[in-house]
Amino acid sequence: MKTPQSIFKIVFVMLMAVVCHLNAWAVSYDIKEMTPEVKAALDARRGRYDQLAAFKSQGLVGENNRGYAEALNSPEVVGDAVDAENSDRKLIYKTIVEQNGLPADALPTVEKVFAQVQRDKAAPGDSIQNESGSWVKK
Amino acid sequence: MRSKERFFVLVLLSCMAAGCTVKAVGDPNRPITINAHITVDVKGLEKTASNIEDYVSGAPAEGTVKTQGGK
Repeated sequence: MKTPQSIFKIVFVMLMAVVCHLNAWAVSYDIKEMTPEVKAALDARRGRYDQLAAFKSQGLVGENNRGYAEALNSPEVVGDAVDAENSDRKLIYKTIVEQNGLPADALPTVEKVFAQVQRDKAAPGDSIQNESGSWVKK
Repeated sequence: MRSKERFFVLVLLSCMAAGCTVKAVGDPNRPITINAHITVDVKGLEKTASNIEDYVSGAPAEGTVKTQGGK
């Protein structure tokens, strides 16, 4: 029968329109205002990146499941870099929460998302902590 | 047949519109307490996080992290 087919086509077209526009409806959480503090934190992280990557490849530093670097061995060697890195990261996470109008209790969610991204981007052999808390080598 | 199709489409559109309607009932003079639960769009946040980490690592980023500007 023609009618059910026409209705099906209409419904299908409407559904496709909804699906195609889903990305447009996705919320974007950006650093909307690049304050001097945030810029300094990002630049410091860039400057520290190679050092941190080296520590990770040596197994001295890992990425925990809360979005922060963690000293796994030789804390006297890597401690300062880890502390500085985590301080910068926390500033960036808090900035995202504040500038996007999220409640303060959204910070753990932001941290966990960054933790997942860190796990995804970790180099082979780096130590990462999965969501269950277990430390594994990527 | 065409009128049935139109009716069906109208019903669908009405349902969509009704789903977006907020109704307020009660005493208009009484303060209304709204408990809003804000859901974080994880996908959107993942994209931002990925862009930031790409910027930090110096890798080509899909998006951009603009470091100019600010107060």
